[in-house]
Amino acid sequence: MSLDTPKLTESEPIRSDLSQSHTKRWALWFSGIALVVWLFYTFVLPLLGEQAGTFIRHWMPLGSINEALVWVICAIGLNIVVGYAGLLDLGFVAFWAIGGYIAAWLMSTFFDQISHGIYFLSAAPPNQHGIHINWWLVLIISGCVCAFAGIVIGAPTLRLKSDYLALVTLGFGEIIPQFFVNGENIFGFNLTNGVKGISPLDNVSPLPFGPPAVSLGGATIPISQPLGPFDVGAKYVLFVLVAAFCIFVSLRLREGRLGRAWLAIREDELAASMMGVPLMQSKLAAYAVGAFMGGLGGVVYAVHNNSVFPDRFSFAISIVLLAMVVLGGMGNVWGVIVGALGLAWFNSTGLPQLGDSFNEQFGTDINFPSYNYLVFGSILVLMMLFRREGIFPEARTRQVLREAERSDAEELDGGEV
Amino acid sequence: MQRTFATATVVALALAACGGSGSPASPTSGTGKTLIISTDLPRQGASKDGSEATNQAIELYLDQIGHKVGDYTIELKKYDDSTAAAGKWDPGQCTKNADDHVANVNEVGVMGTYNSGCAKIILPILNQDPQGPMLMVSQANTNPGLTKMWDPGEPDKYYPTGKRNFARVVTTDDTQGRASAQFMARDLGVKKCFILNDNETYGQGVAQSFVAEAPAVGIQILGNEPWDPKQASYTALFEKIKALEPDCVFFGGVYENNGGQLIKDKVAVLGDNTKVKIMATGFIGYPELNKLAEGQGLYLAFPGLTTDDLKSQGGEAAKLIADYAAKYGGEPATSYALYGVAAVQVILAAIAKSDGTRKSITEQVFSGSGITIPADISAIGKKFSIDPATGDINLLDTTIEIIKNNAETYLKGWPITA
Repeated sequence: MSLDTPKLTESEPIRSDLSQSHTKRWALWFSGIALVVWLFYTFVLPLLGEQAGTFIRHWMPLGSINEALVWVICAIGLNIVVGYAGLLDLGFVAFWAIGGYIAAWLMSTFFDQISHGIYFLSAAPPNQHGIHINWWLVLIISGCVCAFAGIVIGAPTLRLKSDYLALVTLGFGEIIPQFFVNGENIFGFNLTNGVKGISPLDNVSPLPFGPPAVSLGGATIPISQPLGPFDVGAKYVLFVLVAAFCIFVSLRLREGRLGRAWLAIREDELAASMMGVPLMQSKLAAYAVGAFMGGLGGVVYAVHNNSVFPDRFSFAISIVLLAMVVLGGMGNVWGVIVGALGLAWFNSTGLPQLGDSFNEQFGTDINFPSYNYLVFGSILVLMMLFRREGIFPEARTRQVLREAERSDAEELDGGEV
Repeated sequence: MQRTFATATVVALALAACGGSGSPASPTSGTGKTLIISTDLPRQGASKDGSEATNQAIELYLDQIGHKVGDYTIELKKYDDSTAAAGKWDPGQCTKNADDHVANVNEVGVMGTYNSGCAKIILPILNQDPQGPMLMVSQANTNPGLTKMWDPGEPDKYYPTGKRNFARVVTTDDTQGRASAQFMARDLGVKKCFILNDNETYGQGVAQSFVAEAPAVGIQILGNEPWDPKQASYTALFEKIKALEPDCVFFGGVYENNGGQLIKDKVAVLGDNTKVKIMATGFIGYPELNKLAEGQGLYLAFPGLTTDDLKSQGGEAAKLIADYAAKYGGEPATSYALYGVAAVQVILAAIAKSDGTRKSITEQVFSGSGITIPADISAIGKKFSIDPATGDINLLDTTIEIIKNNAETYLKGWPITA
């Protein structure tokens, strides 16, 4: 048995260069598409006739895109844990929930014990109860708290693998939402308002300073004024920026020392540790970075819905997130984005709208959305049968899944690997 | 073969997609302006059948009036506020629907929602509609905080513009809880009750109001605790309750939350329902419960009137139920279906009095004498009106039933007294 070490080290820089140019190309595409979508909804849609406008608002409302962006942010976070580091996490929804509640605590009148309010660069009206912090700061706070929570959950799981790891994360994903359900009376203190949830939240503003809004080509672009429920376009820009940050961090880490350590752990933990990869540090970093993004997703989600309710953070959400990562292409950020956008749209808008159109066309009265899981399950089965690596797989995953079995390779190689 | 199958699927989906614009069908009758009213209900998960029945009853009613109100032609659009991922109502979907209600130019009123949590998301958005506020009338939102002081900040935080736009045709949780406490004390003569709630908004609200009413009617409350719907057995919970020697147990919550197991374990530990009396809200309309041996002797409270009561009253309600059964092959799966029609009647009455704009339609409900639906056309069999100051219905009846001989049996109506 011999190891062809020189060959491996030679091929690595070439792949890295290819990957970087590939990354830049995709980054341009993302920015371009995000900009075109914003320009279209801000400037073009109002000019379209009623029929075309109605069609677009029915099939692809900007509100649905905003919600899909929440899924994108969380899916990118989960991709770091599952796709990069290969740690199966069935409880990611916990970070989403923590992020949402931090936003609700720091951006609402919920804590009415604070009668004159604590304000910091917030767009909320003055003299209200509760805490009112600028949402950009809340994003950072929430991300950091979740990263810490990620380390707390990650620490006891370091010695666990596969099924056992999945079970511990599953437990965490169940405990946290349950805590929010039961947090209405913690030694007499109402921390979470129980199942009644917390609503409404403060209206956010894009910037804490500057003119209230500027006029551009007939459209009003809010700058420092609070965004109301119909400023969907401005919220889209904010959510895209958060998503872009997650994508950027995700891609840069992937190319760096830490990212390569994660991939090494994913492929073969024992080999990675033998080569000097610090297992504990790398795994904890994966949990922390993933959870940080989950926290960002939670804040964005709370702002999008202007409320937080604990029963939304169920196990099924973790599974749908995992399905987004797997369907899109585990390990590949762009694949995960496509998976998240596609499934989120299908779930919230695509299937109900398809059902409406089908029923209208054929005079039927079929409740399409109730068949959601049938379609969803079928897609998963078909994907696993015909394209296990996902829609846009990572090059490395594709190689692994498409290459011949080890025993075949051994046979071809005359028994030497 | 795979490719052919995939191509066929894509073509079929594309055909369906291109088939319509997604807007409701063109009106087939009427010369006036076409206005759209919508329903906003959870059409997936446990509430699916009830929501379908409600939609069907409303469609039937609109067909019967020829989709005409005054000079307006009325079309119905059905929204779903649940998702498969959540398996029930979903805050994200509620937000999206609220945006869609406002963006849909000809839509003038919303019938719904089923869940008060969803209403709390949709309501402030409809309230801030630049062409509105837009009217929302619910057939099932019983949470008091939507219309009156309940939790801190309620109800004002749901109305950012300061104008009201939410009405409902059901009584509230506090009325149900009060009626249950009064009935148990006066008719059943109980003295010491233990309260269990399912830890959801509705269950907590009913339990809270039962506890609040108890001292006034001479009931001692031994405890008010949540039951965990995911638990396999409640024996330990009832053993603890048994030690307190209650003569009654009250369940505030919905049967879907493992109510069957709860009742079995209650009878197993505390004994027959004739010894330790038991009453529940949110347990009406479940055939499997009615056939359960442990369910016999269970008293039930329902906000409003049940399908049986509505039938026995005769008039428009009985006719609607008969027509529904003839068209769909059975009675509605929930009494809320008829209440859905009543909510639509409020919206239509407001449209008839208005100039057809969202703002004007909402104003008809919340100004002057408000909206009154006379008994001869009322989908709930009797005259009712909406209080223009709060949006609440004037009927505070709670129906009391008992399960005996494997069926829900009407006992009496329980109008609230001070």
